[in-house]
Amino acid sequence: MARYGMALNYKNCINCRACESACKEENGVLLLPDHYRIWVGVKEAEGQFPNISIASQTYHPSQCQHCDNAPCQQVCPTNATHYSPDGMVMVDPTRCILCTYCINACPYDARYVDQRTMTVDKCTFCSDTRLANGETTTACQATCPTKVRVFGDLDDPNSEISQLLAKHEYRRVKEHLGTKPKLFYIL
Amino acid sequence: MNAISLKNLFSFEKTPLNLLMAFVTVALVAAFFAGAVIYILHGHHAYNVTRQHPWGLLISMYVFFVVSSTGLCIISSIGHVFGIQEFQQIGKRAIAGAIITISSGFAVIGLEIGHPVTMLIYNVLTPGLTSAIWWMGTLYGLYLTFICLEFFFLAIKENHTFSKIFGICGLLVGLAAHSNLGAVFGFLISRPSANGVFYPVYFILSAMITGCYLIFLMYGFKYKMNFPEKVRVMLVKLSKILGMLLAVLIFFEAWKILTALYGDMPERAATIMHAIKHPNFWFGELTLGMLIPFVVILVSNAQAIKATVYASITGMVGIFFMRYGLVHDTLLYPMTTLKRAEYQLAPSFVDYFPSATEFMIGFGGIGLSLIMYYFADKIFNLDESEETHH
Repeated sequence: MARYGMALNYKNCINCRACESACKEENGVLLLPDHYRIWVGVKEAEGQFPNISIASQTYHPSQCQHCDNAPCQQVCPTNATHYSPDGMVMVDPTRCILCTYCINACPYDARYVDQRTMTVDKCTFCSDTRLANGETTTACQATCPTKVRVFGDLDDPNSEISQLLAKHEYRRVKEHLGTKPKLFYIL
Repeated sequence: MNAISLKNLFSFEKTPLNLLMAFVTVALVAAFFAGAVIYILHGHHAYNVTRQHPWGLLISMYVFFVVSSTGLCIISSIGHVFGIQEFQQIGKRAIAGAIITISSGFAVIGLEIGHPVTMLIYNVLTPGLTSAIWWMGTLYGLYLTFICLEFFFLAIKENHTFSKIFGICGLLVGLAAHSNLGAVFGFLISRPSANGVFYPVYFILSAMITGCYLIFLMYGFKYKMNFPEKVRVMLVKLSKILGMLLAVLIFFEAWKILTALYGDMPERAATIMHAIKHPNFWFGELTLGMLIPFVVILVSNAQAIKATVYASITGMVGIFFMRYGLVHDTLLYPMTTLKRAEYQLAPSFVDYFPSATEFMIGFGGIGLSLIMYYFADKIFNLDESEETHH
């Protein structure tokens, strides 16, 4: 079985937010406040005029980190949040009771309540909308003009993501919490 | 159990206090049902909870009710489980209170959980054994069963052996359930201000304090401040226990705050500093909830029972702020501190104020407790009967 993750050349991000639009379009995410599976965080430039560090202004695309040790999965009382065989963290809406404990437990703000099903929703790496149809990329990756995102199998040493992570230093967000996130920010 | 007609059930002495309580009770019950109707029509849109602040007043009120229930169960067990003679008289009244308050808690949480029926099904079919909510919910279900059986053998079909067995079971399961409720917050690795051993222990302590306050209020109202000697002796002893528990709580809280602030640890120190500067903490939780009752007990050497009854009113208001603060302070710090759009400010502490519907359902739950207590007091003999002496 594959173990899917995503590497992000986040320094290439130009904050066009095409990924946000593509995600919403592909996965039918409602256009409502709080309804977003992925987003681009803006880190402001540091310093005071005229000594402003232009390099310090960066954009941080983010989403569910599909942690190997996901706090949201541990706290779910009905196992609605579970790991797929491909190592992705998924929500089964039929089992979700909307206690929203997982939203509290997620250190990445990756979850929200879908107003149609009134269950918790999050990034699925497009598993039902694209991977199930034989695609090998996620919508956010396919649309990115600067090739920020690389999605693939971390267990396959020949995959593009494995090659990338073998050659570059990277960091993961809030790694100290022991969540083992599978989003890798290439330094 | 008293044989009672419908007319007797709704007739009471028309004193100003009784009339006020009747008005408050009816108004709160009406608010609860009106809130429930709004929730059924509009779902979670009727609440001010958001992605960044997914839990709100209703979770606070649920905690408030179950803390009350566990507290009453613990305090009642001093008498009929541990056999301390003076406290045996509170057994039935306290267990009735425990059943009533947890029922109100379940009524409130039933309108907060999005899919309560799904919960009942999948709690059993696919239990999440690593989830503190699963353990808390399951153990509280068991706890309610045990204390109902305990009450049955205390007040309906008196059997001291069975009431004691179910009393011990209820106490143990209640303690387990309640510390698991603390763990619901304590297990949150994403929230450094809540994460750790503090809440599971503190919940038991604050439950005992809540139980003491409620016993004072129930007896103060029942005897209209003219306590028989036997009750006065018990309340003086309870007051001493309450004073000690408050001292321990103040000590716990002080070290919790100092530990959180010390070293300026990211997220934790800023969150706690923000929380303790708010009047909800220093006026609501600290002054009303702890200091006023503690000072009354300390100054009077636990003899001023009437003043302690009044201080129990401020105490319960303080307990409400404690529960509200528990939920709100846990969720204060934003989980992502980067702004998501160019022309907005970076996220800071998360704002939340309950909606009218949340107030109606949350405080309406108090009305449910009051009306159930009124009926329980009419239908059952909640005072010590001769049989419970041996």
